[in-house]
Amino acid sequence: MTSVIDVRDLTKTYKQTAALDHVSLSIEEGSIHGLLGRNGAGKTTLMSILTAQNFATSGVVEVFGEQPYENARVLNRMCFVRESQKYPDDANAKHALSTAPLFFPRWNQDLADQLISDFRLPMKTPIKKLSRGQQSAIGVIIGLASRAEITFFDEPYLGFDAVARQMFYDHLIADYAEHPRTIILSSHLINEVADLIENVIVIDQGRIIMDESTETARTRAVNVVGDADAIERLVADREVIHSESLGRVTSTTILGQLTDADREFISAANLDLTPVSLQQLIVRATQEGTSLNDTAVRSLQS
Amino acid sequence: MTTAAETFSPQPTGHSRSRTLGVVKLQFMNTQTFVWVPVLVLGGAWLATLLIYWIISASGVEGPMFSGGSQAPLWYFAVVGAQAMNLTYYFSQAMSLTRREFYLGSLAAAAISALGISTVFVLLGLLERATDGYGINGYFAYLPWIWAEGPFAAGLTYFVLTMLTFILGFWFAIVNKRFGPLILTTVLISIALLLLGGAALVSLNSAWSDVWMWFVETQSLGLTLWALGVCAVLSIGSYLTLRRLTS
Repeated sequence: MTSVIDVRDLTKTYKQTAALDHVSLSIEEGSIHGLLGRNGAGKTTLMSILTAQNFATSGVVEVFGEQPYENARVLNRMCFVRESQKYPDDANAKHALSTAPLFFPRWNQDLADQLISDFRLPMKTPIKKLSRGQQSAIGVIIGLASRAEITFFDEPYLGFDAVARQMFYDHLIADYAEHPRTIILSSHLINEVADLIENVIVIDQGRIIMDESTETARTRAVNVVGDADAIERLVADREVIHSESLGRVTSTTILGQLTDADREFISAANLDLTPVSLQQLIVRATQEGTSLNDTAVRSLQS
Repeated sequence: MTTAAETFSPQPTGHSRSRTLGVVKLQFMNTQTFVWVPVLVLGGAWLATLLIYWIISASGVEGPMFSGGSQAPLWYFAVVGAQAMNLTYYFSQAMSLTRREFYLGSLAAAAISALGISTVFVLLGLLERATDGYGINGYFAYLPWIWAEGPFAAGLTYFVLTMLTFILGFWFAIVNKRFGPLILTTVLISIALLLLGGAALVSLNSAWSDVWMWFVETQSLGLTLWALGVCAVLSIGSYLTLRRLTS
């Protein structure tokens, strides 16, 4: 495992507020990372600084072992797709998509053409007259077809309907499988991307509160389904992240791991263990005013 | 994950020169801003000037007629400069360009556009010289003071002044993006006050005749070289301002 991004003690302050608060982070080569967090958590700021579009107040950023600022050698191996990218006034999709190959050395035109037809993108309409979703499609196409060694997608699907979003996920997975690279996908739609991402980085109020494989993250909690009374006995004094009931049946997500005694109890009481929703785990971790108990916070940061 | 590393092709290097040329292409994506509007402004000013000359000459006035109409596209280049910044900078960032590449490519694009418009200016001047001002002794481009050192010097003057206004527009747009309209306005007012201060100083010393003498003695070519120096200073200033611009 080689890390392609190394961030040490990165802080970004805007006047009084800290957008990033002593962030340290290392991102391994060749996997899909989900950068998750609430609005204003610092996701865009982090990605902007990594791509040298914004500046750190203090701290060290290294991409491919070099600092990225004004460094064409590093920058042309990265692609940053913003939530609402601005384009030149007279430009249409054809202009934008014929410009991108000039700057991304690993650009693949076949993939771009495929995406243009899949997203049914009108090529000759001025970009400013395209719908929100069509504008987003241009960014998504640039991000995918650039095949940059590190690609950042910052909420790239604004205005996409469910079909278009699924198309994006499918293309991302398919192209990633054939051309492995590092992808950092920032998203609010945690459930939608949960099966896509191999690593989860959660940022909250400028701090990284979770940075681990999606698999490990899921073991931080368990989901039990079955008889409400039995579950109530099992849960006892544990922390419940989420619970919903339908008649006598309850589905409850509890933080922490199960002991052997718990497992015996579960099989005796005929309860079921089901996969934990990443979304519930993250919502719980980033909920305002209801911080996780100390042990949980420590384990999430470990 | 080492397999992932192996599938990467040999590491591409940043071909900075071809990337800078790419910026020129990127700027000309705004064909309207860079080509058609300047051509229209020049053509419009030319047509209006000729019509005025024709009216004057039809009323029986003789003697050469000169006008400042040919400077219209020159001022428009301040707008071109601002547009080159406003419309394209954010897209250039999305193309993973450095600010330096964006800056040099934008200046190159402006130079190409300015060269085109200067060539038209020189050709018009040559035509006017050959036809004695379209046969009515009216001059739009062939202004003796500018043409004193020949067509090449006249073209150079026009080119340098065009670049000068472009860089001014470009820089003001950067200042606006980086510091906001309040600071931009403050800067503009300060510049106006400084110029007024200079004028007051000249007046108090009753030195206007010296100033005008200097202008006459330096001549158009000399002034062009001065303007070139100002261009250099302004472009360094705008580059330094751009270097720390965020998006």
